[in-house]
Amino acid sequence: MGMGEVILASRGLKKRYGDLWVLKGIDFEIERGQTKVIIGPSGSGKSTFLRIMGLLEPPTEGKIFFEGKDVYSSNLDLNMLRAKIGFVFQEPSLFRHLTALGNVKLGLRVVLKMKEEEARRRALEVLKAVKLEDWADHYPAQLSGGQQQRVGIARALAMNPDIILFDEPTASLDIELTWEVIDVMKELARRGVTMLVVTHELGFAKEVADEILFMDDGRIIESGPPEELLRNPKTQRAREFLSRLIGGA
Amino acid sequence: MRDTPAALDPISFTIEFVTEYYPFIIEGFLTTVEMTFLGLAGGFVLGILAALGDVYGSKWLRVIINGYVEFFRGSPLIVQLLFFYFSIPDITGLNWDAFTAGAVTLMLNSGAYQKGYFKGAIEAVFKDQLVAAKSLGMTFGQTLRHVVLPQALRIVIPPWTNEYVSLGLSTSALIVLGIRELTNISKTIAAQTFRPLEVYLFASAIYFVWITVSMKIFDWIYEKVKIPGLEVSM
Repeated sequence: MGMGEVILASRGLKKRYGDLWVLKGIDFEIERGQTKVIIGPSGSGKSTFLRIMGLLEPPTEGKIFFEGKDVYSSNLDLNMLRAKIGFVFQEPSLFRHLTALGNVKLGLRVVLKMKEEEARRRALEVLKAVKLEDWADHYPAQLSGGQQQRVGIARALAMNPDIILFDEPTASLDIELTWEVIDVMKELARRGVTMLVVTHELGFAKEVADEILFMDDGRIIESGPPEELLRNPKTQRAREFLSRLIGGA
Repeated sequence: MRDTPAALDPISFTIEFVTEYYPFIIEGFLTTVEMTFLGLAGGFVLGILAALGDVYGSKWLRVIINGYVEFFRGSPLIVQLLFFYFSIPDITGLNWDAFTAGAVTLMLNSGAYQKGYFKGAIEAVFKDQLVAAKSLGMTFGQTLRHVVLPQALRIVIPPWTNEYVSLGLSTSALIVLGIRELTNISKTIAAQTFRPLEVYLFASAIYFVWITVSMKIFDWIYEKVKIPGLEVSM
């Protein structure tokens, strides 16, 4: 590791809401083709960190680098960068007035300015990759939670992003629907899609993550390869968190 | 015009006047419909802009918009009509005819009401979609056009139908400017025929049929453009 091109990185990232420091200084980087998983107790700042790395809100302090360029101090078009950073939300967040196909197509048409035919072809191809080609004409309300979440993944994937960020994509799903989403994500990881995933699915982490980051109280307090961090956590807090998670509490 | 002493006899109900006066009744009805559509169309543009300004605009913009809305919702339409027709020429030196003054007043009045309906519809569009659009790299304008408005315009149809009904019936206030709409024409016919009961009943029937048919059309449109999961409970 450490040989590839760094796609997304942060230095000294801090975020404050009112008087509360949610992120207290995060140094992070991810290389092309890697999958990194963030775990940690709720309120540890995982989702905030992900939203800031997705350029959905600015940090209070610190820097974000996309392909080595300082995102907020260069004259980069933030919308064009966002198009290169896919985001999958905890709630599927689909456009309610559009079919599955329409949801996947919208960014292609409006942001990437693809022609209708090309966008349609690309959208169907991506829907097929998440096994939803037969559901292309259904509206979000006509899809299960797992199907909606897979449309959300297809919508991000269609843009051909350099990296996709996942914010607890299975947290609001039933167990049996969780698998269909996790399977799709595993497949993406195997195909070499760069992914940064906040999740509590340790099976997923164990199988495909290059590195697991443990966050607590606004900091990454431990990181390492899955077998090491999951089996033999160094910090007391990671040990407690993992035993609670595995214990099913 | 004849004077018909028979009209004083309440037993002899007749709508014979229709055969003689129907060209005027049609003219009045068409004027009523025309004023309604002018008011609704102008109010539609004003209402959407005001709603967007109120939801997304700066504090000062919101103050101005709400001042406008309060003025038009907080005073009688008849007063507004008289004010605009008589005062604007005094203030600006611009002379305008009753028809233009009436149409502009209806637009401003309807815009104030439509603003409320559009604001509600825009706020009913789930916010998670705005963040999703942002994550795809869409600009604010693109998000409005491709995500917010297509949903808000569907959601707004049922309440907007109420505004159509309300404004359509309120056009009778244009009588104070002497505009020859249905109510004004009816008043003239009633005075000439001494048949107020029949004439006003007939006018009411025209309003009723027009509004009922219009509402059916809007219901049909709503069903036509409805999207599963985006229904409004009426």
